[in-house]
Amino acid sequence: MINVSCVTKIYHSGTRETYAIGDANFSVAKGEFVSIVGPSGCGKSTLLNMVASFMAPSSGDIIVNGSPVLPGKIPKGLGYIFQKDTVLPWFNVAHNIGLGLKFRGVPQDKIADKVNRLLEMAGLKGCYEMYPHHLSGGMRQRVALLMTLACDPEILLLDEPFGALDSNTKMILHNELLDIWQQLGQTILMVTHDLDEAVTLSDRVIVLSAPPSRVVLDHRVDIARPRDVFSLRQSLEFSEHVRQIWTVLGREFKLVGREAIEHA
Amino acid sequence: MPDLPVDNTAAIRSSTEGDGLATLKTHRDRALGEANRDRLIVFSAQVSILATFLGVWEVLTRTPWFVKNTFMDPFFISRPSLVAQRLYDWTVGAQAGFIWPHLTSTLMATMIGLVVSVITGLLAGLLLSQNPRLARVLHPFITGANALPRIAFVPLITMIFGLGLASKVVTAWFIVFFLVFFNTFKGSCNIEKHIIDFCRTLGATQSQITWNVRVPHALAWTFAALPNAVAFSLIGVVLAEFVGSTVGMGYLIITSLSTLNATDMFSTITLLSVLGISLVTVIRRVERYFMRWAPEFRE
Repeated sequence: MINVSCVTKIYHSGTRETYAIGDANFSVAKGEFVSIVGPSGCGKSTLLNMVASFMAPSSGDIIVNGSPVLPGKIPKGLGYIFQKDTVLPWFNVAHNIGLGLKFRGVPQDKIADKVNRLLEMAGLKGCYEMYPHHLSGGMRQRVALLMTLACDPEILLLDEPFGALDSNTKMILHNELLDIWQQLGQTILMVTHDLDEAVTLSDRVIVLSAPPSRVVLDHRVDIARPRDVFSLRQSLEFSEHVRQIWTVLGREFKLVGREAIEHA
Repeated sequence: MPDLPVDNTAAIRSSTEGDGLATLKTHRDRALGEANRDRLIVFSAQVSILATFLGVWEVLTRTPWFVKNTFMDPFFISRPSLVAQRLYDWTVGAQAGFIWPHLTSTLMATMIGLVVSVITGLLAGLLLSQNPRLARVLHPFITGANALPRIAFVPLITMIFGLGLASKVVTAWFIVFFLVFFNTFKGSCNIEKHIIDFCRTLGATQSQITWNVRVPHALAWTFAALPNAVAFSLIGVVLAEFVGSTVGMGYLIITSLSTLNATDMFSTITLLSVLGISLVTVIRRVERYFMRWAPEFRE
C-alpha cells in the first residue's frame, strides 16, 4: 500500500547541507497499522509529509497505492491528521465535518446524512451546532478525525495526532481510533515520539536512527487484537515489546542528545 | 439556571467544591449579589467623575475671580448649562431641527466612507495576498503611502472634489483604506500552512481554499480593524468639513470659530462625541455577531 525506497532528504540552508533522512526503506501493507518512532530531528514528520506529497524527497521513490507520489499531488484516498489544530474555527462542528464532502461536490442532503452518522458514531451528537472554540483540545482532535473519515480514506497518515493531549484523553482517543480502524480497516502510518502509544496501537513499530536517519529496527508487535488500551499497559507482554524497542531507540536518543549539546 | 454573567462563574464553580446542594444556591446568590454590587460601584464611580467634572466647570465659570484671572471664562470655554440649553434649542427648542442636516450629513459621509474603505481595503488585501510577486513589487509604494502624513492631502482633495459629500467621502477613504487594507493583507498572509495542507487532503481546490479558508481568516482581521476604521472615518469627514464644506459638524465648528462662539463649539463637540461613541458601539456589536466563532468573544 505504501512503499518507501531509498528515500533521502537534504535540507539546504545557505551553503550548509543537512541530511535529515539518510536512507529510508520500508513498506506498509494494506490494512496494517504501522508507527514510526525516533529521536527528535530524525525526520519522522518529514517522511510523512513526503508520503502525502507536501514535500518532495531529495532522492528515492515513494509509491502509494501502486502509483508514485508526485510533488504537490496528494495520493487518492489519503487522509492526514496533524498534531496542530486543523478544525476551522469559523465553521460549526457539522459544517467542518461535512467540509471534505462539500469540496467534492456531494449534494447537501447526503452530506447532512453522513455528518449525522459520524457524529453519532463518535458520540458527539450534541455538538452539531457548536463552534470549535467551545470544544476541548481532545474534542477538536476528534472532529479533525471525523473531517478526514467523512471522505472515506483508505490510508491515514497520523502526524503525532495525540501529542498535544493529556494522557487520559490520549488513551480514550487510542481506544476510539482502534475501534474505527477495526471497523473500517484503513492502512495507517503514524508518527509519534511516545513509544507506549506506538506499541499500544501498532502492528509494527519502525525505529529511525539519529540523522542522517535510516530504519534501524522494524519490530512486529504481535499482541492479540482487539486490544484493551487501558489494561494493556500492565501486561508483561507489553513491557517486553517496549523493552525490546527501547534497547535500539534509547541508543539513538542518547546519540541525538550528545550531538544537540555539542552543537549548542 | 439563568444566564450568568461571565465574571462570576469562577466564583460559582469554586463554591461547588465540597458543599452540599442546599448551600450551593446561597453561594450562587451571594456570588451574583457580589457581582452586581461590584458593577454598581464601578458605574457610580464613573457617574461621579463625570458629574464632578461638569460641576467644577459650571461653578468655576460662574466664579468672578476665575472668570477674570484665568481662561475659565464662559467666553472661551462656555459652561455645561449653556451647552445643554444650546443642544435643547438646536433639537426641539428655539431653533428646532437646526442640527439635523449637519448631523446627518456628517453621519452619512462617515458611513459611506467606511463602507467604501472596507470594501476596497478588503478586496485589495485579499488580491495582494494571493499574488506574492505583485505584493513584493508594490511593497515600497504601499509602505511609502502609509507613512505619508495623509491629512496634508485634504486641501487638495477638497480642490479636486469640491465642497460637497464627495470630498468628505474621499478624505475618509484616503485615511481608512490603508488601515483596513493592511489588516486584511496581514491576516490573509499568516494562515498556517498545515491548515491549507489539511484542506487539500480533504480534496479542496485552490478556489475552495480561498473561499473557505483564506477569506474567513482575512475577514476576522478586517473586522478587528472596524472599530478603529469607523473612528478614523469620522475624523476624516470632520477634517474635510473644516477645510471646505457648506454643511456638517466640522462646518459648524469652523463657523463657530469665525463667530467666536464657544457654546456652539462645545455643543457640536458634544454631539460629535456621542456620534463617535455610538458608531463604535454599533460596529462592535456587528463585529461581535460576525466573529462569534472567535475565542475572544467566548461567553
